[in-house]
Amino acid sequence: MANLNIDSEKNRTYDAIVIGSGISGGWSAKELCERGLKTLVLERGRDVQHIKDYPTTNMYPWEFEHRNEIPYKIQQENPIVNRCYAFHEDAAHFFVKDQEHPYIQEKPFDWIRGYQVGGKSLLWARQTQRWSDFDFEGPARDGFAVDWPIRYADLKPWYDHVERFAGIAGNKDGLPELPDGEFLPGYPLNVVEKYFKQTIESKYPGRKVISARCAHVSKPEPIHLQQGRTQCQNRKLCQRGCPFGGYFSSNASTLPWAAKTGNMTLRPDSVVHSILYDEQQGKAVGVKVIDRNTKEETDFYARLIFVNAAAINTNLILLNSTSNRFPNGLGNDSDTLGKYVAFHNYSARIHAEYEGLLDFKTDGRNPAGGGYIPRFRNLHKQETDFLRGYAAGFSAWRSSGSDQSGLGADLKESLLHPKLGNWGVGSHMMGETIPKASNYVALDTTQKDDWGIPLLKIAVDYDDNDAKMKKDYLDTLEEMFTEAGFTNIRRNEGWQAPGLDIHEMGGVRMGNNPKTSMLNKWNQMHAVPNVFVTDGACMTSTSTQNPSLTYMAFSARSVDYAVKELKKGNI
Amino acid sequence: MNRRSAIKQLFVIAGGMMIATSCSNDRKKASIELHNVHFSAEDEQLLKQLVEAIIPETDSPGAANLNLHLFVMKMVDDCHSPEDQAQFVKSLRDAKKIKTKNTEDTLAYLRSLPQEDVFFKILKRRTIQGYLNSEYVMKNKLIYELVPGRYDGAVKVNA
Repeated sequence: MANLNIDSEKNRTYDAIVIGSGISGGWSAKELCERGLKTLVLERGRDVQHIKDYPTTNMYPWEFEHRNEIPYKIQQENPIVNRCYAFHEDAAHFFVKDQEHPYIQEKPFDWIRGYQVGGKSLLWARQTQRWSDFDFEGPARDGFAVDWPIRYADLKPWYDHVERFAGIAGNKDGLPELPDGEFLPGYPLNVVEKYFKQTIESKYPGRKVISARCAHVSKPEPIHLQQGRTQCQNRKLCQRGCPFGGYFSSNASTLPWAAKTGNMTLRPDSVVHSILYDEQQGKAVGVKVIDRNTKEETDFYARLIFVNAAAINTNLILLNSTSNRFPNGLGNDSDTLGKYVAFHNYSARIHAEYEGLLDFKTDGRNPAGGGYIPRFRNLHKQETDFLRGYAAGFSAWRSSGSDQSGLGADLKESLLHPKLGNWGVGSHMMGETIPKASNYVALDTTQKDDWGIPLLKIAVDYDDNDAKMKKDYLDTLEEMFTEAGFTNIRRNEGWQAPGLDIHEMGGVRMGNNPKTSMLNKWNQMHAVPNVFVTDGACMTSTSTQNPSLTYMAFSARSVDYAVKELKKGNI
Repeated sequence: MNRRSAIKQLFVIAGGMMIATSCSNDRKKASIELHNVHFSAEDEQLLKQLVEAIIPETDSPGAANLNLHLFVMKMVDDCHSPEDQAQFVKSLRDAKKIKTKNTEDTLAYLRSLPQEDVFFKILKRRTIQGYLNSEYVMKNKLIYELVPGRYDGAVKVNA
C-alpha cells in the first residue's frame, strides 16, 4: 500500500503547476513547457479546443434561434453577466451564469467570468497597448499605492517577445506614453476618424488619435502560420472563437504550442481549492484540487507554482491557502492580500453625428474597432484637481437605415432600400483608478460554494477622484467633438458598476518592500519564493491602457527568471 | 441541446409547408413547440395574415412565405416579459374581429391601433427583425457577409 501511495504521488508530481488557462496562464504554460519543464495546467472549467469547440463560429444570423438575443428568462436570471456587452446568444456558453458561481457584493460589482479552457481570452476585446514609464512611475510621482518595482525597460524585451508571437496589429506612432512595439501592419483609421485625428492634433498639441492596436493577425508571419493561425478575415465575430485563429487566444495560440512540446498536461474541470505550503521547506509544495463534477479531492505537487486564475480568483485561492505560517493567506506577511483592488473607470461615453464627408462610407469590418486616444491628462505634470487620467476609444461609422414608419408594400420597399445617414461617432473613457486598502476582496466566514471553498466578498467602489475624472472626460470630449463640428452631441453619464470594465486588478501587488507588498519585481512572492503571480492580481496600479498584454509580458518574463533560479538551485 | 433541436425544428418548418395549415380549430395547438405562451392553430393563422399584411409578397417573398409568424411566436414566447406576453395574446384575440382575410381589411385594422399599442409594437418590430435577419433577405437582398476579409475606411459613395 505504501508503495502504491508513493507511485500515486509520483504520478501527481510535476516540475511546475500553472493555475488557470486564460491569457496569462496560457503564456506561463507555453514558456515553462518550452524550457523543458513538465507542466500541469489546471483549469476549473470545461475543455474548449480550438475550432472544434466553437459551436456558433460559422453560424449566420438567421441560424440563431433568437437572432442573437438572450431570452427574457435568462436575462432575468442573470442580471450581472447580462450587462456585459458580449453576452449574446452566440457566446453565452463561454460566460459564467450568475447562479452558477455566486459571490457577495458588499458594494455593487459586476464580476464577469469565463470558466473554461482559454478563460476570457476567447472573449476579450483584444486591445493591446503597451504601458510606459508614465504608468510605472505614476504611484511614486503622485504618491499613491506603492512604487512599482520595475520600469518600462525591464518589461520592454518581454513585450517584444509576446507581441511577436501573439501578433499585434499597430502603427509605429512614436509616442513615449504609448511605446511602439513589434507590430504587424496596423488597421487604418476611416475617413472620419482620420479627419478627427487631424482636427484634434492641430488644435490640441499633446493630444493624439491613433489607430487602436489589437491582437489580430493582420498579416501572418511564419510564427503565426506555425501556430496554425492565419490572417484575420475581418469577421468581427471574435467572441465565438475564431476558426482562422485571427485573434490571439490561449486556445488558438499558447496552449496548442505548449502541448506540442509534449511537456504539458492540461487538466480541465480542476477547481483549485488552495496552495499547499510546507513550513519546514519554507515553500509551496503543490495544490489541492477539487474535481468540478465529482467533487473528489486530489493533491498535485510541483517545485514551481504559477498563479494565473484571473485577478479576483487568484486573490481567492491565496486567501484560502492558510497554514500555521500564513494564517491570513499565502505569503500575506504584509496584510495587503486582497486589498488595493482597482479597475478601470469605463463609466462615461459620448456620442454624436457628423454631417461632413458624406461622399464616403466604409466597406468590410475593422477588427481594431477604430481609433485610440492615449492619455494626455496630467501626463507630464499634475494639472487638474484629480490624479492621473484617462485614455479614450474613438470610432466613426457610416450608418444606414430605413424609414420603418409605414406598413405593407411601402414598408417592405423601404426596408430593402436602406439609405446612408450621417456618420455616427462615439467615444468611451478608460480611466485609471487609484488602488486603496478600502477597495478589497475577502473570504466570507460562513458561506461556501459547491466545492467547499468560501464565497468571496467584494467591496470595490468609485471615489471622488473617479467622479472628477469622469466629468473632465465628458467636458473635454464634448469640447473636442464641438471643435470637430460634430452635432447632436449626447453625453452618456450612465453609471455602471466597477467590474463591468473587466479590468479588475490588484490584491496581490508587486512592490520593493515585503512589508507593503506581496510580490517582488519578478512577480515572485516575497515570502514564498516558488510561487509566482502574473495575472491581473499582481498589478500595483492600473494605468489607462488595457492590461492583458502586460500580463502576457509579466508571465513570460517571470517564467524566464523562475526557471533560471530553479536551475541555479535558488528555488 | 434543446436549442439545437429547436433551431432544426424551425428549419424543417421553414423548408417545407406546414402540416398544420388545415387546422382551424382553436383547441389545436400551434405548429411549433412553445414553452410559455399558448398560441392555438387559429392564432397562428391570424398571425400569418397579420405579418403578411405588414410585409406582403410582391416580386419577392412576403412574411408568410418566410414563416415570420412562427418567428414572431417564438420571440414572444421566449424574449418578452409575462406582462407583454399576456397583452400580446389578448390583443391577438381582439384582432379576430378583422372582417375578412384580405390585406386591405387587415391593414385597416392595424392602422386603427394606437402607435404605442404593445401588441402592435411587438408584432411590427419582430416582423421587421425576422424579415431583415431572414436567410432570404440576407442572401438575396441585403447581403450579409460572414467572412468579409477586408476593411476599407474610405470608399467613395456612388452618386
